[in-house]
Formats: sequence, C-alpha cells, structure tokens
Amino acid sequence: MKAKLAVLVAVGLMGAAVGRAGDNQAIAVDGSTTVGPIAKAFAEFYMNRNPGVNITVSESGSGNGAKSLMNASCDVGAMSRPMKPSEVKGMEDSGRLAKAHIVAMDGLAIAVHPSNPLKGLTLAQIRDIYTGKIRNWKELGGPDQAIVVISRDTNSGTYECFETLVMNQAKMFEKTEYVGSNGAVRQRVMDTPAAIGYVGLAFTEGVKTVPVDGVEATMDTVVEKKYPIARPLFFYTNGMPKKGTHLESFVNLYKTEEGRRIVEDTGFVPVAL
Amino acid sequence: MRTETRGMLDRAFTGTGVFSILLLVAALLVILAPLAVRGLKAVVFQGTVEHRRVLLDKFGRGDRAAVQAEIAEVVEARAPVYVMMDRFQSEVEAMPLSQRRKMRAEFQEVRKLVGAILGDRSGGPASLLMRNQYGATRWDRAQVKLQALLFAETWDYSDNSSFGKKVHTPRAERFSGTALEPMFGYFRGNIGRMLLPRRTVYWGFFTDDSFDSHLFGGIWPELLGTLYLAVGAMLFAVPAGILAAIFFAEYAGDSWAVGFLRTCVSTLAGVPSIVFGLFGLAFFIGVVRVSPSKSVLAGSLTLALMILPTLIRTAEEAIRAVPQTYREAALSLGGSRWHTIVSVVLPAALPGILTGVVISLGRAAGETAPIIFTAAVSVGKPLRLWQTLTQPTPALPWNIYNLATEHEAVEEVRHVQYGMVFALVGMVLLLNLAAIVLRARVARKLRA
Repeated sequence: MKAKLAVLVAVGLMGAAVGRAGDNQAIAVDGSTTVGPIAKAFAEFYMNRNPGVNITVSESGSGNGAKSLMNASCDVGAMSRPMKPSEVKGMEDSGRLAKAHIVAMDGLAIAVHPSNPLKGLTLAQIRDIYTGKIRNWKELGGPDQAIVVISRDTNSGTYECFETLVMNQAKMFEKTEYVGSNGAVRQRVMDTPAAIGYVGLAFTEGVKTVPVDGVEATMDTVVEKKYPIARPLFFYTNGMPKKGTHLESFVNLYKTEEGRRIVEDTGFVPVAL
Repeated sequence: MRTETRGMLDRAFTGTGVFSILLLVAALLVILAPLAVRGLKAVVFQGTVEHRRVLLDKFGRGDRAAVQAEIAEVVEARAPVYVMMDRFQSEVEAMPLSQRRKMRAEFQEVRKLVGAILGDRSGGPASLLMRNQYGATRWDRAQVKLQALLFAETWDYSDNSSFGKKVHTPRAERFSGTALEPMFGYFRGNIGRMLLPRRTVYWGFFTDDSFDSHLFGGIWPELLGTLYLAVGAMLFAVPAGILAAIFFAEYAGDSWAVGFLRTCVSTLAGVPSIVFGLFGLAFFIGVVRVSPSKSVLAGSLTLALMILPTLIRTAEEAIRAVPQTYREAALSLGGSRWHTIVSVVLPAALPGILTGVVISLGRAAGETAPIIFTAAVSVGKPLRLWQTLTQPTPALPWNIYNLATEHEAVEEVRHVQYGMVFALVGMVLLLNLAAIVLRARVARKLRA
C-alpha cells in the first residue's frame, strides 16, 4: 500500500509538472561567464514579457560557447572574445555562418585585495607580474609578500583578451593559478591579501580595482575609450536570426532602450548605437 | 591463547567497534547539523516587507489588503529619507563645481546603498531588474547593507611594511553640515519601521520558480530538474542493468569472453564521472544528436551509463545469492528456464537488486560532472514532462556549484545555495529511506 502511495506521489509530481500548460519555445544560450549576468538578466526580462518562451543560460566559458554553436547545440553563443578564424571556419565547414552581435562593452579590471596599498600599475608592470618577472609586492613599493597570481583558464574569453591586450602572447608564469570563472577569480582575490587577478567590470564588488596606466576601470573610462584593457562582449548566432522569431528579438534586445538599461544595471557598458 | 588474553582482545575489539560507530555518528552530526541549520535559514528567516511584496507580486500569495497596509506604512516611514535626499540633491547643485563633482560621486554611492535596502522609490520610475525593484527581502542582509550605508569602509595604508588595515568611518561625517547628515541617524533608528521584519516561514522556497538569477523566489526548477534526471537515469539503467545481470548470473557461464566482459563492467565502474560527462557530450549530443541542445534526455542517458556498472554488479550478486534449490525446485516442476528466472529467482533477488537501485539513485541525483555538459544550465524554467526530451534544465548539484563560485553576487545568494544543499541532501535521504522501507517490505513478504 505504502509502496503504491510512493509511486502515486511520484507520478503526481510529474503530472503537476506536465499540467502547467503553455506553448514551448526554447532558446539555449551557452558560453562566457562574463556575459552570464547580461544573458541571465536578458532572459529574465524577455521571459517576463513572453511567458511561453523558455530561455536557458549556461555559463561554461567562451570556448565552450563557440563549440556549442559550432555543433549547433545552442542558439546563442555568448562570448567575451571574438570568434577565432578556426572557429568561424569550423562553422562554415558545416554550412553555417557565424554572426556576431556586440551586446555590450567591458573593461578587464585588474583586481587586488582591498588591503593592498598599490596605487596603480602600467601595462608593462602587469605583464611582468604575469610572466613572473615581478614576484613580490615589495618590488612595486608594497609590503614584502610574494604575489599570488590568479588567471582565468584557457577556455575563457577573458583569458584570451588578457593574453592579446596585456601579455602580447608572452607565456604566463608557471605558478599562476587558473580558475574557472570571473566569480571564482573575484572570490580568490577577496580571500587572499597578496593576490592579483583580472575580472569583467560586473565582478568588482568587494575587490580593489587598480588604475592601469593611470586610468581607473569604470564604465565612463571604457565608454571614453581611455581604459586600455577594454573589449566588446558578443552574442554569436548561426546566421542572422529569422525576422519575427523570439530568437531575433531576444538577440536584439541590447539595441532597445530597456536592453541598454539592463546592460548598465548589470555593471557593463551599453554599446553606442 | 589464555582465556584472559582472549577476553581482553575481545573487549578491545568491541570497544574499537563501538568507538568507530560513535565517530561515524559524530562525523555525520558535524556535517549534517550545520548543513540543516544553514539550509533551513532559506526557509525560516526574518522576512521584510519586501519579501512579502515579492510573494504578492510574483506568486499572488499573501493577504493583499494586509500587505498593502504594510506598504503604506513603510512608504510613510521611508518618506523622510527621500525628503532629505532630495534636499541634499538641490544643495549639491548649488555647490561650487569642484566640490559638486566629489559630492556627486559620494552621493551616488549612498543612493545605491539606499536602493539596495529599500528598493525602488515608491511613485518613482520603476527599475527593470527585480534586484533593483525590490529592497532587502531578508533582515540579515538588510543589516549588512545598513552597516555599509552607515560606515564607509576605507583602508589605512600608512604602514608601508604590511598590507592596509580596515577603517570604518561614519558616512555621516562625510556629509556633515549638509541636509543628508541626519539621514544616517534616521536610517539607524527607523530601519525596522522601514522594512517591518517579521519571522517568516517560506515553504514556497522549495516549490517556487526562481527569479533574477536566483536572487528571488525558490528552487523548484532545480528540484524538478534533479528529479527528472535521477528518475530518467533509472528508467534507462534499471531494465538494462537487470537484464545484463541475469545474463551474467544465469546464462553466461565461465568462458574467457565472459570474464573479459565482467572485467569491462568493473572497469567502467571505476571510470571518473567527468569522463562520462564528456562522453555524453561527444556521443549523445555530438554524434547521436538525441536532442537539439543539452537536454534532460541526454543527461539521463549519461547518468544511466555511469550507474549501470554498479547496478549490474549488485543485481548479479543478488541473483547469485538466491539458493540453487529454488531453481532446481522450479525446474523440476516443469518450468522453463526463463520462467524460473522471472517468477522464482528475480522475486527472491529483489531486495538485493533494490539495494543497488537505491545506491545508484542517490548517486544519479547527486552527481555534477556528467550533467555539466549534457543537461545542466544556470537558469531556466521548470520543464514539463515532454520538454525534457529537448530542453536542458537547472539541477541542484550543478547550481550549488554555480551559486558558490560563478554567480555575480555570491553573498546575496548564500542562503539559496545552502537551501539547495539542504534540499539535495534531503532528497537523496528521502529517496534512500523510501527504498529501504520498500526493500524491507518486499523481504518480509517473501519470507511470509
């Protein structure tokens, strides 16, 4: 009897889930953890307006976003770096066209623990820290403490941007710690007084951002193109989304007044139209 | 051996046994107690009027008239804050340019913090994101934000030989002599009137949809997703596992090839779960394309593969444990081989098989790695049954990880994270309990 009851409950639960009627339109977004907050906020906003649509967002890194789009297992690839020629070619080979939509601008903030007295760094100094030439805060006028270097993993678009904009392809210091998301870099830096890391603008709460070449990482300096490590954030789709589809209006949300406000509310810089 | 020595050894052995059991219980308590306490804080907490507003607006729950009365009450209590802020705003406009810039930046920070506690100003323009529309829904978070509002955190870097020290300066000092100065005192004295904290029991945490990156609402999509994945995995794995076990135990014999197959199964049981995850991605999504994107189906299939070896081994052992006399009796009555297995051997082996099913079910519900690439997403709606064939879902194990590390505001969703852990552990415990009860009943029935 009890066994039957348990089965009944299980079936009932499933039935309840089935019972919630409505049409089903699904959009799958996969990719960058930096673009995550924008994608999640867009999804929330869009689903609120269109209750029949289910937008799922995965935060697995830009590289995975590109891969998912290449084998057509997502509709939107969120990326914090442009697609590489090899990825574009990969899509073309299977008869698809990579279409980029720049949804926002972002600055790569150099983050240290708030207790760090550092007043600023030059691009060259950052590079020296990440190549292991500068290994102690003492060398930068700080306390005598070995620098704990935190970086994103190589699947990350943020990593690739950092590599191009700061490292000039120089090899990273072998003691660098690689972590899997912007949030993880932020937490590692928050917990470690001697740490340095780099994160997207939306992930700077609780850490100290260091001016680079004398310029603070803020929305304003990114807009004015003064901040040296700025980059666009992308939604990639397979060709131009068909007119009138949910996919089209979702991807183009960033162009609307509301979309721009959401981008700003999540801590990023809306693109100039 | 002398009797004395033997007795001593005996006692020592019993003592060690009892001690290790006690140790186990203590360890369980140390792990489970804080987990339960912290997890329950997602359900039982001091909820503010903002929490009740969310419930009313988003789920239509709560006494509308009462909540509206509360809202009217807090709007009145909050009014002086906005009056002071408005007055200060006009003061700033009249300041000399250099001072104006600095004050504006400071004021902007204050406004942000006030917004974080109180939400949108009533009657003002509405924000687009829920996180800005509503203030602090939980009293504990409101207190933290109040501290940030009252005391600016700065760092003293004067000691050059070490890292800086945290200094809290009252924000009121920074605005001394302005219209904003009294606001901080007012806030400190009247925060309770502005938020009306009340002991809240929010069972909806387990059955409500989540909103705005888990900052509001419950964890229903995750719970349901986990259930789908675990049950789905069992649907694929149990029949296949039992059939394979029957083959191994009853038909296979002892040839070289069968030994090799057995080794394969054992090896499969030792493969790390992330490997299954990557295999699922490459095979079910990449090659077979069971669904257009990640999906519950792909995740269930991957999980099924992962638990299959355990299922096969336990079921095989259970079938082997059935006394040979049972089979002989059935066969002597003229039953066919297959008939004997289905109506005599399997029922007798059922309790043992169920044990394997229970262990696997718990594992399927709790595994993260196999579903990362095949089924799990950070946000998504609760799925209807047929949607599981094509769509991915949030699921507890993955979302716990996501909220703990990747989320953009980890501190704000800490309670959700603990609530999820609690729900996951509770779910696995419940599933296990149910199966243990079931197993006991089946065993009793067989004996009778």
